[in-house]
Amino acid sequence: MTVFIFLGSLLGAMALGIPIAYSLLVSGVALMWHLDMFDAQILAQNVINGADSFPLLAVPFFMLAGEIMNVGGLSSRIVKLALTLVGHKRGGLGFVAILAACMLAALSGSAVADTAALAALLLPMMVRAGHDKAKSGGLIASAGIIAPVIPPSIGFVIFGVAANVSISKLFLAGIVPGILMGASIAIAWYFVAKRENIQPPPKASFKEQLAALRESLWALGLPVIVIVGLKMGVFTPTEAAVVAAVYALLVSMLIYREMSVRQLYEVFVSAAKTTAVIMFLVAAAMVSAWLITVADIPSQMIQLLEPFMGNQTLLLIAIMLLVMAVGTAMDMTPTILILTPVLMPVVKQAGIDPVYFGVLFIINNAIGLITPPVGTVLNVVAGVGRMKMDEVTRGVLPFMAAQFIVMFLMVLFPSLVLVPARWLAN
Amino acid sequence: QVEDRTIRIGTTVPADHPISLGAKKFTEIVAAKSAGKLKVKDYPALALGPELQQQSALIGGVQEMFVPSSATLAGIVREFTLLDLPYLIRNPAQADALMDGPFGQALLAKLPEKGLVGLAMWENGLRHITNSRHPIQKLEDVQGLKIRVQQNPIFIDMFKALKANPVPMSFGEVYGALETKALDAQENPLLVARSAKLYEVQKYASLTGHAYGVIIVLVSKKLWDKLSADERKLLQASALEARDYQRQVSREQARKAMEELKAAGMVINEVAPAELDRMRQAVQPVADRALQTFDPALVRLLRSELERVSHIG
Amino acid sequence: MNRLIAGGCRLLEALLALGLALMVLLVFGNVVLRYAFDSGITVSEELSRWLFVWLTFLGAVVAIHERGHLGSDMLVSRLGPLGRKGCLLLSHLAMLYVTWLLWSGAVTQVGINLDVVAPVTGTSMAVFYASGAVFALLGGLLLLHGLWRLLSGRMADEELIAVQESEDLAQVQDLHLGQPAKV
Ligand code: NA
Ligand code: NA
Repeated sequence: MTVFIFLGSLLGAMALGIPIAYSLLVSGVALMWHLDMFDAQILAQNVINGADSFPLLAVPFFMLAGEIMNVGGLSSRIVKLALTLVGHKRGGLGFVAILAACMLAALSGSAVADTAALAALLLPMMVRAGHDKAKSGGLIASAGIIAPVIPPSIGFVIFGVAANVSISKLFLAGIVPGILMGASIAIAWYFVAKRENIQPPPKASFKEQLAALRESLWALGLPVIVIVGLKMGVFTPTEAAVVAAVYALLVSMLIYREMSVRQLYEVFVSAAKTTAVIMFLVAAAMVSAWLITVADIPSQMIQLLEPFMGNQTLLLIAIMLLVMAVGTAMDMTPTILILTPVLMPVVKQAGIDPVYFGVLFIINNAIGLITPPVGTVLNVVAGVGRMKMDEVTRGVLPFMAAQFIVMFLMVLFPSLVLVPARWLAN
Repeated sequence: QVEDRTIRIGTTVPADHPISLGAKKFTEIVAAKSAGKLKVKDYPALALGPELQQQSALIGGVQEMFVPSSATLAGIVREFTLLDLPYLIRNPAQADALMDGPFGQALLAKLPEKGLVGLAMWENGLRHITNSRHPIQKLEDVQGLKIRVQQNPIFIDMFKALKANPVPMSFGEVYGALETKALDAQENPLLVARSAKLYEVQKYASLTGHAYGVIIVLVSKKLWDKLSADERKLLQASALEARDYQRQVSREQARKAMEELKAAGMVINEVAPAELDRMRQAVQPVADRALQTFDPALVRLLRSELERVSHIG
Repeated sequence: MNRLIAGGCRLLEALLALGLALMVLLVFGNVVLRYAFDSGITVSEELSRWLFVWLTFLGAVVAIHERGHLGSDMLVSRLGPLGRKGCLLLSHLAMLYVTWLLWSGAVTQVGINLDVVAPVTGTSMAVFYASGAVFALLGGLLLLHGLWRLLSGRMADEELIAVQESEDLAQVQDLHLGQPAKV
């Protein structure tokens, strides 16, 4: 009963067009009434304390790093490097997009920022070369969502805090699955490109490749610092994030010299505002999370899912289908915040590795960014590429399918995630 | 008379930690004593929010009970920092006599004007040093150790006085810092070294017993004022009964933790009484300086109580 | 009135940028000090967390003004102007109600925590809880202003949807859409 009051009031408020953060507060009020413990202090205390978290400081820092990289010319150098490396293959520009997306993913934590950069830089080139615009846009959208799976990842930070799981372990466990997602769309693109049969651009000379590598070396230094720093335990994720931001700042101001002071101010304002929107949502979600704990909803969920509890695979498939359904309509951050407090106790009870689950959950949420009707990353490609939404949606289908297949393979064969994660963590 | 009520009691540690076991025991004792009318539900592991939120929730009457470390209360009644003083007591029996005597009562008596009622003092236990360099057998062995401490001025001053290099850090970062040798040492009850798997990154544990952790059982005064005399008596008696159980479990687990750390390959050593005395003398100025900032009457009470309990054990 | 609000928001933006810059300095400074000089800024963690809390709530005020909070317009976008106005009225009333609760709860917390001091800096915890009260006050005023504009018929049709589907879409538009591709 309590769980239906929570979801009903939340969805009802959202349907009225109330922002999700406020809808969460409305559903918190409904829960307080239902539980007969109405007190404005519950609201205020949980909201204010909910914004108070040192690990979540990684969010503005990674946000800042991602923004600086796009404005300061780090991203465009990465794309250029990918272009000289694989541009000459058949369907090469598509592989360029995938390779560049994987490298950019290692620099930034947000799918939207990465997709915007990829779409602005590569989509016009692909269309000029003669690729179908819908398919190219779809490919770029599906490549862009690798960003939150390969570290750094704002999704992992928020999930790690909400679920009390090590963010460093999540980061390291995301690397191989992220690359597998890239491989899956590369295979899909291979078949798409074969049918298009378009003349690739000429092969870059070794000298050009070397020049592009030298140019982008500073940008590539960043993921090395972050991943090595985390793996060696030198940095906490928050420290890694701030180091990434300062590093990107220094490279774009002092080495590439592509960012003005005015742009720097705008980047700070914009990162702070985006952070505030995310954090206000995080804070508002604490109210219902607190009430969910007090009302013991997790144990009700465990009872509800009792038939699945004996079979981890079956339970995971059920949960993944639920997340897919929610993901069609909701963005990543709210999905993480709303589902984590409900699902995590079930996952733990069933004996599923929390890091493994976190990786699957974030992959599913990332794919949700390209599933219609509401797909933020589809919006970005449509906006940047001046395309219709249904055109991008049509184009993304084969790649989305490939990524879902990979995700369910990881559900069926957990060692795809766990073995490399264990190997990287030691 | 006793009414039907639901009381939520929050703890800051996982469900299998002695403090949470004490809270669990408390729920059972209350249920038995009230014939099921008072329902106490326990919420371990900060499920009801971070320490200061739960403290504030008790004062505001949103939450009924909370079992924090005495350090949490220092922001509201500064006198609780007196319990953090180095080498306050030498063994658990002395601690029990001090906490359950007039000095402990005097501290608890300061809570009601702040909207809280303290029912009993449980324990987190004696704190010892683990490190990766060498066994600590004498005062000089502490010198130069890069040791993680809590964000607590008394602990920082204590380890400066021992000529160590104290680094305040949140506990979540400690394992990694010890692993990379950014830190040499940390100090906590041995139970923590076991549960956080510090034996993987620390070779030596030395029973320095340089401080003793006290846990306070709190009730919201807003609730307390609404309770009947019977209900108050019931909760008070249950908190004390649970205290005896909690201290026993805490000490049993400390012993067991020591065995397990040994089995995991750690080298554990006792420190000779004469060397402990030297350490105590080295940190005495820290205690004296801190004591000067408190009400002289309370300090006199503390000194006479320390004298009284010093012969125990 | 509109110019006053816009000016206030520019001021808040400057504070946000400053706060974020301070957070970077504190946390980065601490990293450098810890690994290079074996020391640290003791207040760094607490201070940066408090800045973060204030940044969250001041930024959330700006987001109310800019309709930047995340939400779904799936249902509302299918309605006509009258239906949209009805939904906007209801949602403003609901948001004002929870804002009122937030205000009264936060003010109670400020009162409770007036003489409670923070563990490291020793600052009153009331400063921490005041962030929620300030948010409720400013956000509540903005919502009241919106309600008044709606009821007096001053709200244009394109303003009738008060949410954004994704947190960083607006930002992407600010920063990248106009930019020519450079490869
Ligand atoms: Na990433
Ligand atoms: Na979607």
